[in-house]
Amino acid sequence: MPSNPSRAAAIVAAAESNEIGYLETPKTDMMLAIEALQNVCREAGIGVHDIEAVFATTNANEIAEYTGMDPRWIDTTSIGGCSYEVHVAHALAGINAGMFDIAVVLNGQAGYSRRNFPRGGTSGPTRSMERVRGNADPQSPDTMYLMPYGVGGAPTLYSHAMTRHMYEFGSTKEDFAQVAVTTRDWAMLNPRAVMYSKETHPNGGEITVQDVLDSPLIAWPLNLLDCCLVTDHGGAVILASERVVHRFRGKPVWIDGAGEAMQHTSMLEIPDFTTTSAKKSGARAYAMAGMGPQDMELALMYDSFTVTAAITAEMLGLTRRGEGTSLWDDGKAGPGGSGIPVNTNGGGLSFNHSGRYGMMLLIEAYRQLAGIAEDGVHGVKGKQTAARSAVVNGAGGTLSATGTLVLTAD
Amino acid sequence: MAEYDKPAPFPDPFVGKPYWDGGKEGKLMLPRCTSCSKTHFYPRSMCPHCGRDTIEWFEASGYGFLHTFAVQHRGVGAWTKEVPYVTAFIDLMEGDRVFTVLRGVDPLKPEEIRIGAKCRIEWDQAGEDTFMPYWRVVEE
Ligand SMILES: [Zn+2]
Repeated sequence: MPSNPSRAAAIVAAAESNEIGYLETPKTDMMLAIEALQNVCREAGIGVHDIEAVFATTNANEIAEYTGMDPRWIDTTSIGGCSYEVHVAHALAGINAGMFDIAVVLNGQAGYSRRNFPRGGTSGPTRSMERVRGNADPQSPDTMYLMPYGVGGAPTLYSHAMTRHMYEFGSTKEDFAQVAVTTRDWAMLNPRAVMYSKETHPNGGEITVQDVLDSPLIAWPLNLLDCCLVTDHGGAVILASERVVHRFRGKPVWIDGAGEAMQHTSMLEIPDFTTTSAKKSGARAYAMAGMGPQDMELALMYDSFTVTAAITAEMLGLTRRGEGTSLWDDGKAGPGGSGIPVNTNGGGLSFNHSGRYGMMLLIEAYRQLAGIAEDGVHGVKGKQTAARSAVVNGAGGTLSATGTLVLTAD
Repeated sequence: MAEYDKPAPFPDPFVGKPYWDGGKEGKLMLPRCTSCSKTHFYPRSMCPHCGRDTIEWFEASGYGFLHTFAVQHRGVGAWTKEVPYVTAFIDLMEGDRVFTVLRGVDPLKPEEIRIGAKCRIEWDQAGEDTFMPYWRVVEE
Protein backbone atom coordinates (compact mmCIF):
# COMPACT_ATOMS: atom_id res chain seq x y z
CA MET A 1 0.00 0.00 0.00
CA PRO A 2 1.68 3.23 -1.08
CA SER A 3 1.98 5.94 1.54
CA ASN A 4 2.08 9.70 1.15
CA PRO A 5 5.79 10.67 1.14
CA SER A 6 5.02 14.05 2.71
CA ARG A 7 7.60 14.80 5.43
CA ALA A 8 9.39 11.46 4.94
CA ALA A 9 12.57 13.53 4.56
CA ALA A 10 14.04 16.89 5.39
CA ILE A 11 16.79 19.06 3.97
CA VAL A 12 19.42 19.27 6.71
CA ALA A 13 22.21 21.25 5.09
CA ALA A 14 22.88 23.53 2.14
CA ALA A 15 26.12 24.98 0.84
CA GLU A 16 27.79 26.63 -2.13
CA SER A 17 31.17 26.38 -3.80
CA ASN A 18 33.98 28.46 -2.31
CA GLU A 19 33.53 31.10 -4.98
CA ILE A 20 30.46 31.99 -6.99
CA GLY A 21 29.72 34.70 -9.55
CA TYR A 22 32.29 35.72 -12.15
CA LEU A 23 35.34 33.67 -11.28
CA GLU A 24 38.69 35.28 -12.05
CA THR A 25 40.33 31.91 -12.57
CA PRO A 26 37.97 29.62 -14.46
CA LYS A 27 36.72 26.49 -12.74
CA THR A 28 34.98 23.55 -14.35
CA ASP A 29 31.54 22.20 -13.58
CA MET A 30 33.12 19.32 -11.68
CA MET A 31 35.38 21.57 -9.59
CA LEU A 32 32.41 23.71 -8.55
CA ALA A 33 30.30 20.65 -7.75
CA ILE A 34 33.00 19.02 -5.63
CA GLU A 35 33.63 22.23 -3.69
CA ALA A 36 29.94 22.48 -2.91
CA LEU A 37 29.83 18.82 -1.95
CA GLN A 38 32.74 19.15 0.46
CA ASN A 39 31.23 22.29 1.96
CA VAL A 40 27.80 20.74 2.44
CA CYS A 41 29.27 17.65 4.09
CA ARG A 42 31.26 19.87 6.45
CA GLU A 43 28.12 21.81 7.29
CA ALA A 44 26.11 18.62 7.79
CA GLY A 45 28.83 17.00 9.86
CA ILE A 46 29.08 13.89 7.71
CA GLY A 47 31.69 12.33 5.47
CA VAL A 48 31.22 12.18 1.72
CA HIS A 49 31.09 8.40 1.97
CA ASP A 50 28.10 8.54 4.32
CA ILE A 51 26.00 9.61 1.33
CA GLU A 52 23.94 6.77 -0.10
CA ALA A 53 22.19 8.45 -3.02
CA VAL A 54 23.49 11.02 -5.48
CA PHE A 55 21.38 13.29 -7.66
CA ALA A 56 23.01 15.58 -10.23
CA THR A 57 22.46 16.75 -13.79
CA THR A 58 26.09 16.34 -14.91
CA ASN A 59 26.63 13.51 -14.00
CA ALA A 60 25.74 11.57 -10.88
CA ASN A 61 27.93 8.63 -11.86
CA GLU A 62 30.96 10.83 -12.53
CA ILE A 63 30.57 12.56 -9.18
CA ALA A 64 30.25 9.21 -7.42
CA GLU A 65 33.40 7.95 -9.10
CA TYR A 66 35.41 11.11 -8.40
CA THR A 67 34.53 11.05 -4.73
CA GLY A 68 34.75 7.31 -4.27
CA MET A 69 31.15 7.08 -3.17
CA ASP A 70 29.35 3.77 -3.28
CA PRO A 71 25.81 4.97 -4.02
CA ARG A 72 22.85 2.67 -4.02
CA TRP A 73 20.79 5.23 -5.96
CA ILE A 74 22.16 7.19 -8.93
CA ASP A 75 19.98 9.78 -10.64
CA THR A 76 21.01 12.06 -13.52
CA THR A 77 17.59 13.42 -14.38
CA SER A 78 18.42 16.48 -16.49
CA ILE A 79 15.44 18.53 -17.61
CA GLY A 80 16.85 22.02 -17.26
CA GLY A 81 16.86 24.44 -14.38
CA CYS A 82 14.13 22.63 -12.47
CA SER A 83 16.13 19.41 -12.28
CA TYR A 84 17.13 19.93 -8.64
CA GLU A 85 13.58 20.42 -7.39
CA VAL A 86 12.72 17.25 -9.32
CA HIS A 87 15.74 15.52 -7.74
CA VAL A 88 14.36 16.40 -4.31
CA ALA A 89 11.01 14.93 -5.32
CA HIS A 90 12.71 11.73 -6.47
CA ALA A 91 14.85 11.55 -3.35
CA LEU A 92 11.77 11.99 -1.19
CA ALA A 93 10.14 9.05 -2.97
CA GLY A 94 13.26 6.90 -2.60
CA ILE A 95 13.56 7.72 1.09
CA ASN A 96 9.86 7.08 1.63
CA ALA A 97 10.29 3.68 -0.02
CA GLY A 98 13.11 2.85 2.40
CA MET A 99 15.74 2.68 -0.31
CA PHE A 100 18.22 5.02 1.41
CA ASP A 101 18.45 7.52 4.28
CA ILE A 102 20.97 10.14 3.16
CA ALA A 103 21.06 11.79 -0.24
CA VAL A 104 22.87 14.68 -1.86
CA VAL A 105 21.48 16.86 -4.63
CA LEU A 106 24.23 18.88 -6.22
CA ASN A 107 25.25 20.96 -9.18
CA GLY A 108 28.34 22.72 -10.43
CA GLN A 109 28.00 24.89 -13.47
CA ALA A 110 30.62 27.16 -14.98
CA GLY A 111 28.08 29.28 -16.81
CA TYR A 112 30.55 32.16 -17.01
CA SER A 113 33.92 30.40 -16.88
CA ARG A 114 33.11 28.05 -19.70
CA ARG A 115 33.50 30.93 -22.15
CA ASN A 116 37.17 30.96 -21.19
CA PHE A 117 37.76 27.25 -21.59
CA PRO A 118 39.51 25.91 -24.66
CA ARG A 119 36.98 24.74 -27.27
CA GLY A 120 35.83 21.24 -26.58
CA GLY A 121 36.61 21.62 -22.89
CA THR A 122 32.98 21.90 -21.96
CA SER A 123 29.64 22.45 -23.56
CA GLY A 124 29.80 25.93 -25.05
CA PRO A 125 27.53 28.59 -26.48
CA THR A 126 28.16 27.53 -30.05
CA ARG A 127 26.67 24.09 -29.52
CA SER A 128 23.25 25.06 -30.79
CA MET A 129 24.67 26.35 -34.05
CA GLU A 130 26.63 23.18 -34.60
CA ARG A 131 23.36 21.34 -34.33
CA VAL A 132 21.95 23.44 -37.13
CA ARG A 133 24.88 22.54 -39.32
CA GLY A 134 23.75 18.98 -39.19
CA ASN A 135 25.87 17.60 -36.41
CA ALA A 136 22.73 16.27 -34.85
CA ASP A 137 19.69 14.06 -35.01
CA PRO A 138 17.78 15.02 -38.17
CA GLN A 139 14.59 14.24 -36.29
CA SER A 140 15.23 16.93 -33.66
CA PRO A 141 12.42 19.45 -34.04
CA ASP A 142 14.58 22.32 -32.82
CA THR A 143 17.34 21.53 -35.31
CA MET A 144 14.92 21.34 -38.21
CA TYR A 145 12.28 23.92 -37.48
CA LEU A 146 13.51 26.41 -34.90
CA MET A 147 17.27 26.96 -34.68
CA PRO A 148 17.70 28.04 -38.33
CA TYR A 149 15.75 31.24 -37.62
CA GLY A 150 18.35 33.12 -35.61
CA VAL A 151 17.61 31.59 -32.24
CA GLY A 152 20.47 32.49 -29.94
CA GLY A 153 20.21 32.44 -26.18
CA ALA A 154 17.13 31.88 -24.08
CA PRO A 155 15.84 35.48 -24.45
CA THR A 156 15.13 34.80 -28.14
CA LEU A 157 12.32 32.45 -27.24
CA TYR A 158 11.13 33.64 -23.79
CA SER A 159 10.40 37.07 -25.25
CA HIS A 160 7.53 35.53 -27.23
CA ALA A 161 5.80 34.58 -23.97
CA MET A 162 6.04 38.14 -22.67
CA THR A 163 4.56 39.56 -25.89
CA ARG A 164 1.66 37.15 -25.64
CA HIS A 165 1.10 37.96 -21.95
CA MET A 166 0.98 41.68 -22.79
CA TYR A 167 -1.49 40.94 -25.59
CA GLU A 168 -3.80 38.69 -23.58
CA PHE A 169 -3.80 40.49 -20.25
CA GLY A 170 -2.75 44.06 -21.00
CA SER A 171 0.36 43.78 -18.86
CA THR A 172 3.09 46.29 -19.64
CA LYS A 173 6.86 46.41 -19.79
CA GLU A 174 6.68 48.61 -16.68
CA ASP A 175 4.80 45.87 -14.81
CA PHE A 176 7.52 43.35 -15.59
CA ALA A 177 10.29 45.84 -14.81
CA GLN A 178 8.97 46.08 -11.24
CA VAL A 179 9.91 42.41 -10.77
CA ALA A 180 13.53 43.25 -11.58
CA VAL A 181 13.53 46.30 -9.32
CA THR A 182 12.14 44.48 -6.26
CA THR A 183 14.44 41.51 -6.81
CA ARG A 184 17.37 43.90 -6.91
CA ASP A 185 16.34 45.27 -3.51
CA TRP A 186 16.94 41.78 -2.07
CA ALA A 187 20.29 41.47 -3.85
CA MET A 188 21.41 44.68 -2.14
CA LEU A 189 21.14 42.78 1.17
CA ASN A 190 23.19 39.84 -0.10
CA PRO A 191 26.93 40.49 -0.35
CA ARG A 192 27.37 37.33 -2.44
CA ALA A 193 24.97 38.67 -5.09
CA VAL A 194 26.63 39.76 -8.31
CA MET A 195 24.45 42.88 -8.39
CA TYR A 196 24.95 43.70 -4.69
CA SER A 197 26.43 47.12 -5.40
CA LYS A 198 28.12 49.33 -7.96
CA GLU A 199 31.39 47.93 -6.62
CA THR A 200 30.45 44.34 -7.47
CA HIS A 201 29.06 45.13 -10.94
CA PRO A 202 28.77 48.29 -13.08
CA ASN A 203 25.00 47.68 -13.31
CA GLY A 204 24.75 46.73 -9.62
CA GLY A 205 23.06 48.49 -6.72
CA GLU A 206 19.71 50.22 -6.72
CA ILE A 207 17.69 50.36 -9.94
CA THR A 208 14.39 51.91 -10.98
CA VAL A 209 11.69 50.84 -13.41
CA GLN A 210 13.06 53.46 -15.80
CA ASP A 211 16.54 51.91 -15.54
CA VAL A 212 15.10 48.58 -16.67
CA LEU A 213 13.28 50.21 -19.60
CA ASP A 214 16.42 52.17 -20.55
CA SER A 215 18.71 49.14 -20.48
CA PRO A 216 19.63 47.73 -23.91
CA LEU A 217 16.98 45.80 -25.80
CA ILE A 218 17.86 42.13 -26.04
CA ALA A 219 14.74 40.67 -27.59
CA TRP A 220 11.79 43.05 -27.48
CA PRO A 221 9.95 43.16 -25.14
CA LEU A 222 12.86 41.92 -22.98
CA ASN A 223 15.50 44.47 -21.99
CA LEU A 224 18.84 43.55 -20.47
CA LEU A 225 17.64 44.01 -16.89
CA ASP A 226 14.66 41.72 -17.53
CA CYS A 227 17.17 38.93 -18.10
CA CYS A 228 19.05 36.76 -15.63
CA LEU A 229 22.78 36.71 -15.13
CA VAL A 230 25.14 34.07 -16.49
CA THR A 231 27.60 33.19 -13.73
CA ASP A 232 29.52 30.35 -12.11
CA HIS A 233 27.92 28.51 -9.25
CA GLY A 234 28.23 25.29 -7.31
CA GLY A 235 25.63 24.20 -4.82
CA ALA A 236 24.51 21.19 -2.84
CA VAL A 237 21.88 20.15 -0.32
CA ILE A 238 21.74 17.07 1.91
CA LEU A 239 18.46 15.23 2.43
CA ALA A 240 17.93 12.91 5.38
CA SER A 241 15.13 10.49 6.21
CA GLU A 242 12.94 11.23 9.17
CA ARG A 243 14.60 8.24 10.86
CA VAL A 244 18.11 9.74 10.82
CA VAL A 245 17.38 13.46 10.80
CA HIS A 246 18.33 13.81 14.48
CA ARG A 247 21.91 12.83 13.67
CA PHE A 248 22.46 16.12 11.84
CA ARG A 249 23.32 19.34 13.56
CA GLY A 250 21.51 21.46 10.97
CA LYS A 251 17.91 22.44 11.48
CA PRO A 252 15.59 20.21 9.44
CA VAL A 253 13.45 21.82 6.74
CA TRP A 254 10.72 19.35 5.92
CA ILE A 255 9.62 18.41 2.44
CA ASP A 256 5.88 18.56 2.84
CA GLY A 257 5.05 18.43 -0.82
CA ALA A 258 6.77 17.73 -4.11
CA GLY A 259 5.47 17.69 -7.66
CA GLU A 260 6.86 17.59 -11.15
CA ALA A 261 5.28 18.17 -14.56
CA MET A 262 6.12 19.07 -18.13
CA GLN A 263 4.11 20.36 -21.04
CA HIS A 264 6.64 20.36 -23.88
CA THR A 265 10.35 20.31 -24.58
CA SER A 266 10.67 22.33 -27.79
CA MET A 267 8.94 25.70 -27.68
CA LEU A 268 7.31 24.67 -30.97
CA GLU A 269 5.04 22.58 -28.80
CA ILE A 270 4.06 25.00 -26.03
CA PRO A 271 0.26 24.78 -25.87
CA ASP A 272 -0.18 28.25 -24.38
CA PHE A 273 2.57 30.86 -24.00
CA THR A 274 1.15 32.18 -20.73
CA THR A 275 0.64 28.85 -18.98
CA THR A 276 3.39 26.62 -17.64
CA SER A 277 3.51 23.19 -16.10
CA ALA A 278 3.99 24.92 -12.73
CA LYS A 279 0.22 24.82 -12.54
CA LYS A 280 0.34 21.02 -12.46
CA SER A 281 3.53 20.56 -10.46
CA GLY A 282 2.30 23.17 -7.98
CA ALA A 283 -1.08 21.48 -7.58
CA ARG A 284 0.68 18.14 -7.01
CA ALA A 285 3.00 19.62 -4.39
CA TYR A 286 0.19 21.45 -2.58
CA ALA A 287 -1.96 18.28 -2.59
CA MET A 288 0.82 16.16 -1.10
CA ALA A 289 1.43 18.80 1.56
CA GLY A 290 -2.24 19.34 2.34
CA MET A 291 -1.58 23.05 1.96
CA GLY A 292 -2.32 25.76 -0.55
CA PRO A 293 -0.94 29.06 -1.80
CA GLN A 294 -2.60 30.91 1.07
CA ASP A 295 -0.37 28.96 3.50
CA MET A 296 2.89 30.02 1.86
CA GLU A 297 4.96 32.63 3.69
CA LEU A 298 7.82 32.75 1.19
CA ALA A 299 8.07 32.11 -2.55
CA LEU A 300 11.20 31.19 -4.44
CA MET A 301 10.41 31.18 -8.13
CA TYR A 302 12.65 30.78 -11.11
CA ASP A 303 13.36 34.19 -12.59
CA SER A 304 15.33 33.44 -15.73
CA PHE A 305 13.41 36.46 -16.95
CA THR A 306 10.96 38.79 -15.26
CA VAL A 307 8.20 37.16 -17.28
CA THR A 308 9.14 33.67 -16.05
CA ALA A 309 8.66 34.59 -12.39
CA ALA A 310 5.46 36.53 -13.11
CA ILE A 311 3.79 33.66 -14.97
CA THR A 312 4.95 31.21 -12.30
CA ALA A 313 3.30 33.33 -9.60
CA GLU A 314 0.02 32.91 -11.46
CA MET A 315 0.51 29.19 -11.93
CA LEU A 316 1.22 28.66 -8.22
CA GLY A 317 -1.95 30.49 -7.27
CA LEU A 318 -0.11 33.39 -5.62
CA THR A 319 -1.95 35.88 -7.85
CA ARG A 320 -4.89 35.81 -10.17
CA ARG A 321 -4.42 34.81 -13.79
CA GLY A 322 -2.84 37.53 -15.86
CA GLU A 323 -1.80 39.51 -12.80
CA GLY A 324 1.46 37.78 -11.93
CA THR A 325 3.47 40.99 -11.68
CA SER A 326 1.05 42.32 -9.04
CA LEU A 327 2.93 40.21 -6.48
CA TRP A 328 5.83 42.66 -6.85
CA ASP A 329 3.83 45.90 -7.22
CA ASP A 330 5.23 48.78 -5.16
CA GLY A 331 7.95 46.54 -3.81
CA LYS A 332 5.43 44.35 -1.94
CA ALA A 333 7.59 41.26 -2.41
CA GLY A 334 10.74 43.05 -1.36
CA PRO A 335 12.50 43.64 1.97
CA GLY A 336 9.99 44.91 4.51
CA GLY A 337 7.22 44.72 1.90
CA SER A 338 3.55 44.16 2.68
CA GLY A 339 3.23 40.94 0.64
CA ILE A 340 4.99 37.60 0.83
CA PRO A 341 8.74 37.86 0.27
CA VAL A 342 9.89 36.55 -3.10
CA ASN A 343 13.36 35.53 -4.25
CA THR A 344 15.12 36.75 -1.14
CA ASN A 345 18.60 35.86 -2.43
CA GLY A 346 18.31 38.42 -5.23
CA GLY A 347 17.13 35.86 -7.77
CA GLY A 348 18.63 34.75 -11.03
CA LEU A 349 18.16 38.36 -12.07
CA SER A 350 20.56 39.84 -9.54
CA PHE A 351 22.15 37.11 -7.37
CA ASN A 352 23.53 34.37 -9.62
CA HIS A 353 22.31 32.17 -12.46
CA SER A 354 24.65 29.57 -13.84
CA GLY A 355 22.28 28.25 -16.50
CA ARG A 356 20.30 25.88 -14.31
CA TYR A 357 19.25 28.07 -11.43
CA GLY A 358 17.12 25.57 -9.49
CA MET A 359 19.92 24.69 -7.08
CA MET A 360 20.12 28.31 -5.89
CA LEU A 361 16.40 28.26 -5.11
CA LEU A 362 16.86 25.20 -2.90
CA ILE A 363 19.78 26.68 -1.01
CA GLU A 364 17.98 29.95 -0.30
CA ALA A 365 14.80 28.12 0.75
CA TYR A 366 16.76 26.00 3.20
CA ARG A 367 18.62 28.98 4.66
CA GLN A 368 15.48 31.07 5.06
CA LEU A 369 13.48 28.34 6.79
CA ALA A 370 16.42 27.21 8.91
CA GLY A 371 16.91 30.81 10.05
CA ILE A 372 20.43 31.17 8.68
CA ALA A 373 19.76 33.45 5.72
CA GLU A 374 21.81 36.40 6.94
CA ASP A 375 25.15 36.37 5.26
CA GLY A 376 26.65 38.48 7.96
CA VAL A 377 29.35 39.66 5.59
CA HIS A 378 30.22 43.36 5.93
CA GLY A 379 27.65 43.56 8.70
CA VAL A 380 24.76 43.44 6.23
CA LYS A 381 21.47 42.44 7.82
CA GLY A 382 17.87 42.29 6.74
CA LYS A 383 17.69 39.34 4.37
CA GLN A 384 16.33 36.84 6.92
CA THR A 385 12.52 36.65 6.87
CA ALA A 386 10.15 35.21 9.47
CA ALA A 387 8.74 32.65 7.00
CA ARG A 388 8.00 29.14 8.30
CA SER A 389 6.78 27.79 4.97
CA ALA A 390 7.88 28.21 1.38
CA VAL A 391 6.86 27.26 -2.10
CA VAL A 392 9.84 26.63 -4.35
CA ASN A 393 9.38 26.33 -8.09
CA GLY A 394 12.06 25.49 -10.58
CA ALA A 395 11.49 25.87 -14.31
CA GLY A 396 13.49 24.21 -17.04
CA GLY A 397 13.95 24.51 -20.78
CA THR A 398 11.75 27.11 -22.47
CA LEU A 399 8.84 27.31 -20.01
CA SER A 400 8.89 23.52 -20.36
CA ALA A 401 9.30 21.34 -17.27
CA THR A 402 8.82 22.40 -13.66
CA GLY A 403 9.35 21.03 -10.20
CA THR A 404 7.53 22.47 -7.19
CA LEU A 405 8.30 21.89 -3.52
CA VAL A 406 6.40 22.89 -0.41
CA LEU A 407 8.84 23.19 2.50
CA THR A 408 8.23 23.94 6.17
CA ALA A 409 10.28 24.57 9.29
CA ASP A 410 9.31 23.15 12.69
CA MET B 1 19.51 35.05 -57.01
CA ALA B 2 21.42 36.02 -53.87
CA GLU B 3 23.11 33.19 -52.09
CA TYR B 4 21.34 31.99 -48.95
CA ASP B 5 23.73 32.82 -46.11
CA LYS B 6 21.74 31.71 -43.05
CA PRO B 7 21.90 28.36 -41.31
CA ALA B 8 19.74 25.72 -42.91
CA PRO B 9 19.25 22.17 -41.75
CA PHE B 10 19.88 19.11 -43.82
CA PRO B 11 16.23 18.33 -44.56
CA ASP B 12 14.94 15.41 -42.53
CA PRO B 13 15.13 12.47 -44.97
CA PHE B 14 12.75 10.40 -42.87
CA VAL B 15 9.48 11.41 -41.26
CA GLY B 16 9.57 15.07 -42.34
CA LYS B 17 10.55 14.39 -45.97
CA PRO B 18 7.17 15.35 -47.50
CA TYR B 19 7.38 18.75 -45.78
CA TRP B 20 10.79 19.55 -47.27
CA ASP B 21 9.89 18.05 -50.64
CA GLY B 22 6.76 20.23 -50.70
CA GLY B 23 8.90 23.31 -50.19
CA LYS B 24 10.71 22.66 -53.47
CA GLU B 25 7.38 23.19 -55.22
CA GLY B 26 6.35 26.09 -53.00
CA LYS B 27 3.72 23.98 -51.26
CA LEU B 28 3.07 23.61 -47.51
CA MET B 29 2.66 19.90 -46.84
CA LEU B 30 1.47 18.90 -43.37
CA PRO B 31 0.88 15.63 -41.56
CA ARG B 32 -2.64 14.79 -40.40
CA CYS B 33 -4.10 11.87 -38.48
CA THR B 34 -6.85 9.95 -40.24
CA SER B 35 -8.18 8.64 -36.91
CA CYS B 36 -8.73 11.95 -35.09
CA SER B 37 -8.47 14.30 -38.11
CA LYS B 38 -6.02 16.59 -36.32
CA THR B 39 -2.96 18.17 -37.93
CA HIS B 40 0.31 18.24 -36.07
CA PHE B 41 3.65 20.00 -36.46
CA TYR B 42 6.59 19.13 -36.14
CA PRO B 43 6.16 15.97 -38.24
CA ARG B 44 6.04 12.67 -36.40
CA SER B 45 5.52 9.02 -37.18
CA MET B 46 2.59 8.96 -34.80
CA CYS B 47 -0.18 11.33 -33.82
CA PRO B 48 0.57 13.29 -30.63
CA HIS B 49 -3.13 14.01 -30.19
CA CYS B 50 -4.49 10.44 -30.05
CA GLY B 51 -1.37 8.28 -30.08
CA ARG B 52 -2.26 6.32 -33.22
CA ASP B 53 0.06 5.91 -36.21
CA THR B 54 -2.51 6.71 -38.90
CA ILE B 55 -0.68 9.63 -40.52
CA GLU B 56 -1.32 11.04 -43.99
CA TRP B 57 0.14 14.12 -45.68
CA PHE B 58 -1.95 16.81 -47.36
CA GLU B 59 -1.34 20.14 -49.04
CA ALA B 60 -2.29 22.95 -46.67
CA SER B 61 -3.42 26.43 -47.63
CA GLY B 62 -0.13 28.09 -46.78
CA TYR B 63 -1.95 30.66 -44.65
CA GLY B 64 -1.84 31.23 -40.93
CA PHE B 65 -2.21 33.86 -38.22
CA LEU B 66 0.40 35.59 -36.09
CA HIS B 67 0.25 34.05 -32.59
CA THR B 68 3.09 35.93 -30.92
CA PHE B 69 6.39 37.54 -31.86
CA ALA B 70 9.57 39.18 -30.57
CA VAL B 71 12.16 41.51 -32.04
CA GLN B 72 15.68 40.14 -31.90
CA HIS B 73 18.29 42.81 -31.20
CA ARG B 74 21.25 40.49 -30.62
CA GLY B 75 21.03 37.77 -33.23
CA VAL B 76 23.37 34.85 -33.57
CA GLY B 77 25.82 33.71 -36.25
CA ALA B 78 24.84 34.88 -39.75
CA TRP B 79 21.69 36.43 -38.31
CA THR B 80 23.65 39.00 -36.34
CA LYS B 81 23.94 41.33 -39.34
CA GLU B 82 20.15 41.30 -39.76
CA VAL B 83 19.27 42.78 -36.36
CA PRO B 84 16.71 43.85 -35.52
CA TYR B 85 14.59 41.06 -37.01
CA VAL B 86 11.20 39.74 -36.00
CA THR B 87 10.77 36.12 -34.96
CA ALA B 88 7.28 34.73 -34.67
CA PHE B 89 5.06 31.76 -34.01
CA ILE B 90 2.34 31.30 -36.61
CA ASP B 91 -0.91 29.45 -35.99
CA LEU B 92 -1.48 27.39 -39.13
CA MET B 93 -4.90 27.68 -40.72
CA GLU B 94 -5.19 23.89 -40.54
CA GLY B 95 -4.04 23.63 -36.92
CA ASP B 96 -0.85 23.61 -34.81
CA ARG B 97 1.94 26.14 -35.02
CA VAL B 98 5.31 26.90 -36.66
CA PHE B 99 8.24 29.21 -35.90
CA THR B 100 9.72 31.62 -38.43
CA VAL B 101 11.37 34.92 -39.13
CA LEU B 102 8.46 37.17 -40.00
CA ARG B 103 8.47 39.42 -43.05
CA GLY B 104 6.31 42.35 -43.99
CA VAL B 105 6.58 44.06 -40.58
CA ASP B 106 8.70 46.89 -39.18
CA PRO B 107 11.03 45.58 -36.45
CA LEU B 108 11.44 49.12 -35.11
CA LYS B 109 7.71 49.49 -34.49
CA PRO B 110 6.74 46.40 -32.49
CA GLU B 111 3.70 48.19 -31.09
CA GLU B 112 2.27 48.24 -34.61
CA ILE B 113 2.66 44.52 -35.26
CA ARG B 114 -0.77 42.98 -34.83
CA ILE B 115 -1.23 39.59 -33.19
CA GLY B 116 -3.81 37.70 -35.22
CA ALA B 117 -2.58 39.19 -38.52
CA LYS B 118 -2.97 36.93 -41.53
CA CYS B 119 0.31 35.51 -42.84
CA ARG B 120 1.37 33.52 -45.88
CA ILE B 121 4.26 31.11 -46.33
CA GLU B 122 7.05 31.67 -48.86
CA TRP B 123 10.04 29.47 -49.58
CA ASP B 124 13.62 30.67 -50.09
CA GLN B 125 16.10 28.47 -51.92
CA ALA B 126 18.76 27.71 -49.32
CA GLY B 127 20.80 25.12 -51.17
CA GLU B 128 20.75 22.96 -54.23
CA ASP B 129 17.99 20.83 -52.80
CA THR B 130 16.85 22.78 -49.75
CA PHE B 131 14.13 25.40 -49.45
CA MET B 132 13.54 27.31 -46.22
CA PRO B 133 10.05 28.52 -45.31
CA TYR B 134 9.40 32.07 -44.19
CA TRP B 135 6.12 33.77 -43.34
CA ARG B 136 4.94 37.22 -44.37
CA VAL B 137 2.13 39.35 -43.02
CA VAL B 138 -0.22 39.79 -45.95
CA GLU B 139 -3.02 41.64 -44.27
CA GLU B 140 -3.48 45.38 -44.82
ZN1 LIG C 1 -4.79 11.30 -34.03
